[in-house]
Amino acid sequence: MSRPATVALNVLQRCFTILVLAGLSSGAVTADTRSLDTAFGPLEISGQPKRIVTLYEGALDTALAVGAHTVGAVITRGGNHVADYIKPAAGNINIVGTPGETNIEAVLAAQPDLILAAPRTSEQQYRLLSRLAPVVVPDIPMFEADTWKRETRLFARAMGRADQAEQVIEQVEARIAEVASLVRERIPADQRNATLIRWMPQGPLVMAEGLFSAAIIQATGFRPNSKGLIKPGRPHSEPLSLENLSGLDQNWMFLATLNADGDKALAAARKSPAFARLNAVQANQVIAVSGQLWTSASGPLAALAILDDIEAAVLALQP
Amino acid sequence: MNALSANRVLASRELLPQLLVAGIFLLLVILASLLLGAGPISAHVSLETLTGSTHPDAWFVISELRFPRTVIAVVTGLALGLAGALLQSMTRNPLAEPGLLGVSAGSGFAVALAILLGASTATLTTVVAQLGALAGCGLVIAATRVQGLGNDPVRLVLAGATLSGLLLALTSMLMLIDQRAADEIRFWITGSVAGKPLAVLATTLPFIGMALMLVLAVAKPLAAMSLGEKAAVGLGHHPGRIRLMVTLAVALLVGSATALAGPLIFVGLVVPFITRAIAGPDIRRTLWLCLPVGPAVVLGADVVSRLVAAPAEMPLGVVTALIGAPVLLAIVRAGRMPSL
Repeated sequence: MSRPATVALNVLQRCFTILVLAGLSSGAVTADTRSLDTAFGPLEISGQPKRIVTLYEGALDTALAVGAHTVGAVITRGGNHVADYIKPAAGNINIVGTPGETNIEAVLAAQPDLILAAPRTSEQQYRLLSRLAPVVVPDIPMFEADTWKRETRLFARAMGRADQAEQVIEQVEARIAEVASLVRERIPADQRNATLIRWMPQGPLVMAEGLFSAAIIQATGFRPNSKGLIKPGRPHSEPLSLENLSGLDQNWMFLATLNADGDKALAAARKSPAFARLNAVQANQVIAVSGQLWTSASGPLAALAILDDIEAAVLALQP
Repeated sequence: MNALSANRVLASRELLPQLLVAGIFLLLVILASLLLGAGPISAHVSLETLTGSTHPDAWFVISELRFPRTVIAVVTGLALGLAGALLQSMTRNPLAEPGLLGVSAGSGFAVALAILLGASTATLTTVVAQLGALAGCGLVIAATRVQGLGNDPVRLVLAGATLSGLLLALTSMLMLIDQRAADEIRFWITGSVAGKPLAVLATTLPFIGMALMLVLAVAKPLAAMSLGEKAAVGLGHHPGRIRLMVTLAVALLVGSATALAGPLIFVGLVVPFITRAIAGPDIRRTLWLCLPVGPAVVLGADVVSRLVAAPAEMPLGVVTALIGAPVLLAIVRAGRMPSL
């Protein structure tokens, strides 16, 4: 759409933000004002927003990790509520849609003062949401090793909690170092090739090396490899023919479904003769994981939960 | 009466060359199915493996992946081809196809419901698919009884499309209720023979065997009915009983096919269309030809499904729909509908 309209909208929106903030917390208006780079241009926010709606799993994760107050979130893919790993932190949070579809009326009812949206939010959606509260849409290249850190920092700055974000990221990095040394200690360097697979009824999907959980795997010393089966810019391959499964055979396999239940996925996969003959399966080095956590989530809390999974798997190895 | 049975003997003899050609064609498709796939095992290596050279990976792919899906596709094609021919002959409507009329959708909805409720064993799915198909058949028969609908092929298909649409909407609703089951259901309703174990045949073959016995019993009276109900009654048949048996046979066949491969539409339309083009409208001749043609169509579609999207696979149901839709248009546009 036209640029003047966008500018006008931005100006209106800033006025609105200031008005809201002035109304909510008289006296706090002079608090720090920061400018954020978002996918739809710079966005200025001041103070510490009190009613945050997250429309992206990575945003909810960050918000809870830095201790912000969230009043709405979207469900995780393949589930009916937020992902299991984050339920204890999120409590009985108000659901305002799915990752694909936002219920605008529910967002309005939550009366947000800040909306954290997913990368690739459409401009039309952005404009609509911007009429309710300032909207942060990350403008960060997806599927790179540090994508989650940059997103975490952006969202945290929007929430006025940049310091807490640095603390949490440090905590994750310390934990990565811990698990990485365990991996070095228990698994020989030439035994660390891995694949991350989502087992679908249609066939296995191999997940990209740049995907959040694959980046965490890599940081701990494993070497995820998708064997060039993924188109650039995509998070995973199409469901592959079972005839291609042997090409993905590695020392280790992390196996998920879209659902939470990794063990059920493993049971289903074991029935397939093409799966049963893989070296990773015969060596008993298949790790069943939750698809909600490993293939849909991102953020510092998800990183810690994934690291727990990796640690448990490595500790379970016979020394 | 005498002339009729003389004609029948003549018919099967005349049919021999066509049957032979169709049979050889089916063998070629089976060979293609064993040789071609979406993976790295090429047709050349497969052929070498089949002719005796040892190549464990290729042997695994052929024996454990391609062979089971070949057998399942053959049985599915057999069932759907016969079901289509029977249903068309009984309703005297060249468009009466289990998929188009909602029989497959009924079966698919029943299975989706079972998946939602937590079903997973192959046995349960088979029985559920049969019951769903039976309910779908019942609705079709009821629709043909509606004044004017039974005589108008296109209106019957419209009624079927309405029923299919309704069942599809209900299936979508089930997927919304439980996102966990949605994945499995979504895969299921597009139809596929990939990755299914041969064990699923054990639970469906008895039902197909029952259906085949019904078909044998009903072929002759059904042909008599094509002369008109009065003629059939004159020849000593009971139209009501025949309809019941045909309906049961169609339900068993479609239910079995759905349990094996999901609700594949258009197969029951394409197969009788081809056999009629070869052998004319007499049901006793088309049924024989359906035996090689049905499997060849489904298996051929499955081979295509592996090749067009490698290293992934296109769902089989998409390929059969792509083949079937033009045939449907051809029949409808042919101006005068062939009367059965």
